Amino acid sequence: MTDRETTYLHIRMKGRAFALHSSREIPCELFVSDSGRAVLTSEDGATVEDVAAEDLDVASPLGSAPRRITFPGGLVFETSDHDAVTQLTGATRGGLLHHYEQFSPRLVGVIAAAVLSVWIIWRYGLDILVTAAIALTPPILVDQIDRGTLKTIDLTMAETSTLDDAERDRVEQIFRTLLDDLPADQREKHDFTLLFRSMPDVGPNAFALPGGTVIMTDQFIEEFPGRDVLAGVLGHELGHVVEQHGLQQTYRSLGVFILIAFLAGDTGPILEDVLLEGSLLLSLSYSRSHETAADEFGLALSHRAGFDPAGLAVFFEKISEMGEGPPEWMSTHPANENRIEAIETFIETLDAP
Amino acid sequence: MRDTYDAAPARQAEPVSFEFRGKAGEWFGIWIVNLLLSIVTLGIYSAWAKVRTKKYFYNHTYVAGRNFDYHATGMQILIGRLIVVAAVVVFQLASSLDPIISLVLILALVVVFPWLIVRSMMFNARMSSFSNVRFNFLGGVGQAFLVFLIYPILTALTLYTTFPLLDRAVKRFSINNHRLGTAKFEMEAPIWPFYKAMLFAALWVLAVGVVAVALTGFQLANLFSLGDVEDDPVAIFTIIGLFYLMFFLAFLPAAFMYQAMTRNVVYNSTELSGGHRFHSNVTTLRLMWIAVSNAVIAAVTLGLMLPWTQVRLANYLANHTYLLPGGSLDDFVGRQVDEGMSVGEAYSDLEGIDVGLPI
Repeated sequence: MTDRETTYLHIRMKGRAFALHSSREIPCELFVSDSGRAVLTSEDGATVEDVAAEDLDVASPLGSAPRRITFPGGLVFETSDHDAVTQLTGATRGGLLHHYEQFSPRLVGVIAAAVLSVWIIWRYGLDILVTAAIALTPPILVDQIDRGTLKTIDLTMAETSTLDDAERDRVEQIFRTLLDDLPADQREKHDFTLLFRSMPDVGPNAFALPGGTVIMTDQFIEEFPGRDVLAGVLGHELGHVVEQHGLQQTYRSLGVFILIAFLAGDTGPILEDVLLEGSLLLSLSYSRSHETAADEFGLALSHRAGFDPAGLAVFFEKISEMGEGPPEWMSTHPANENRIEAIETFIETLDAP
Repeated sequence: MRDTYDAAPARQAEPVSFEFRGKAGEWFGIWIVNLLLSIVTLGIYSAWAKVRTKKYFYNHTYVAGRNFDYHATGMQILIGRLIVVAAVVVFQLASSLDPIISLVLILALVVVFPWLIVRSMMFNARMSSFSNVRFNFLGGVGQAFLVFLIYPILTALTLYTTFPLLDRAVKRFSINNHRLGTAKFEMEAPIWPFYKAMLFAALWVLAVGVVAVALTGFQLANLFSLGDVEDDPVAIFTIIGLFYLMFFLAFLPAAFMYQAMTRNVVYNSTELSGGHRFHSNVTTLRLMWIAVSNAVIAAVTLGLMLPWTQVRLANYLANHTYLLPGGSLDDFVGRQVDEGMSVGEAYSDLEGIDVGLPI
């Protein structure tokens, strides 16, 4: 019991007691006198316990469940006389929580606050956490992630590049030119390397790993040999690295998964599914916004480095001729036609070189 | 099993019903405050929310005028969860470092999994009490390894025709290793009722399937020939829709049917030392109705009626569960036991594994 100034006012409550580790019910009465003594008397008038009232451990209230009062020796007294217990403890020990849990119109406000805070956390809270997690990730670990992922790619889907040296040098040269136009601090922060792999099953594609490794498939260079296209796509991949999209998505999905998993008991299976599906759709929109950001980064970079930024649009035009993708809202990438439009709009905002 | 007690009475006492005294309104208030505080604390309060939830349902469940209690503290649950979250993050990062490391880690998890389950059941049992006497769980890791890893593999190898054997093994492991104080639970159920329940569940799925195929003009049959519809988005959406329909009309009710039928068997063949027996008389139709309508009500109210549906189910289950006392309930005695860590418990929370007693 906490220190309290008021005197005890002859509090009397009926209930039952259990000795430590025993299920035997002893009908009892607890009496707390003015002098601060708590006396437990059994039905036949025998004194079971006589201790100082402040040595009692009163469990906090929960709904209308009986209150449990534990004596120093482990004996438990249980009573449904809620008023008497409140009189004994005063408004302490979880009373505030209990007060807000009462079924009343105030709960409508609680519901609104819950919905609002989900939105706020989604919009701002997660970003802050993700930024903090990225700042805490040691660079050595990120480099190691690159090496590990590359190993997995080589093991599962990639073969040695069959490009001749001249062709490699040409693409490497474009990559170097782009890197020279990156801010100096970015160039030092990441270990940028361009690698070539043959991936017949993947087709024309390029990937960026968080540490700065960029992989381009032979199939891409064979399909799109133009230097402006290559510069546009390499610039896009560099955008993913510089803006740390890979780590952001990893931490974000991990954080959301853990949060929803621990809330699941309180949300029930249906709300949990709604949250999971919703967060999946929203994370797709997140990934799409990353693609758009990388497009803009790539366009600005290739423009600065002296390439024609329209090269990136050429790539998407050719790709969209090859076939239609899924509806935009269920895809990790924006639809090609929207992307081409956005690219053309963005190019107009760039200054003449 | 009765040696720790004086002679069991010759005749069985009158059955006493379990009773749930929780109120939907009262529980709603606790639930919504739990949810709000868990969200604004980024999940940290969810540890205390879990304790409050369990305590509410335990405290309001009575039999013979005595109730249950849950004793874990939010801090204990939080520490377990922090350890598990740290392990998950390390696991996640480590497995992206090298394909070999990730393979080794997965194998390690398979070996640790039964240990985590046993720890979880032990923590749960030791934190629960009835009439001031704590439960205990004494299952071994080796046994858990068999029941949760080896048997499921064997069951899959028999194309799930031996599923009832697996299910009974899991329930036996869970129940027979539980103690109330020093008193032992013992379930000895024949296998035939489990097979009967599976048969009925399978027949239900089959019947719904036949009706659905007939009604939808054999579109459902396309479910199994996906090859030729891949390019047509309308066909894909129809199939996804039909799949959900099958899930809600066929598989979900079948699962409830199986559960209702086996629940009665499990309770009716369980004994607690001292000659105390149990009885359950839930009916398949009623339990199915409650479960399915609960799901619909919770879904259309976006979860707001979830507390009401939980109280409704708790009420129904309690009212159809009985204790047949073999003597006085005053004679259970507990022992001082180490409460243990909540790491296993936190792990099963995260993975959504439910390994408690079949309630």
